[in-house]
Amino acid sequence: MFEALRISATGMGAERLRMDVIADNLANANTTRGPDGQPYQRKEVVLRPAGGFEAVLNGVEVAAIAPDPSPPRRVYDPGHPDADAQGYVTLPNVNPVTEMVDLISASRSYEADVTAMNAAKQMFTRTLDILR
Amino acid sequence: MPLFDVTSVALERALAGAAQRQAILANNIANANTPGFRRSDLDFHTALAEALERGASAAELRNLPLQPQMDESGAVRVDGSNVNVEREMASLAENSLEYQSIVAVMRARVHMLEQAITGRV
Repeated sequence: MFEALRISATGMGAERLRMDVIADNLANANTTRGPDGQPYQRKEVVLRPAGGFEAVLNGVEVAAIAPDPSPPRRVYDPGHPDADAQGYVTLPNVNPVTEMVDLISASRSYEADVTAMNAAKQMFTRTLDILR
Repeated sequence: MPLFDVTSVALERALAGAAQRQAILANNIANANTPGFRRSDLDFHTALAEALERGASAAELRNLPLQPQMDESGAVRVDGSNVNVEREMASLAENSLEYQSIVAVMRARVHMLEQAITGRV
């Protein structure tokens, strides 16, 4: 009976993780030197139905937080400490506009999950009224 | 009226169907951003109406299977999913109201029984 609440909770968790990863991408939009000495690489959350595509009613789960393989940005800035011999700096492949659009998508999807959860909650509360 | 006649069993099954459908719709919404996901839905109306039409007994109604179906209709997005959040939210609201109206009818029936038992109006 409380399946609907659990399912919506998996959706909310997944969307929140997406927001966390987007925040990480935005925070590192100009990080030229990561732990490996390379510029930061944009990450993306990959979602899949929990338990696989054949399983029904398990909600959603995170399959992976995968790096985005698109090429990094190259900006001419000879004064930068990380500039190469030609004066170009390799910046992360983060596009703030893409991140903002993803953020809106994650935020709206989260809201949809909250609405579904509230509807289920209201329904269960109503059921208790039968015997009142 | 018997305590658990065809109508009350039908109401109970409709309530169970609406609760199950709520979970299915919540699952569609939770997977709104899952590439390749296909939405599911549960049509408990047709199954129940058909059973009531042919005069099924209370026991038959109680064992009526309600199977969710994968829905291939609707436009498939670029990412291979056919979930349309607007449509899911509309179905969710509709299902929620339907559930509440079933509860109201059940409540009225319980109230009638109560009055018959206590003799008070």
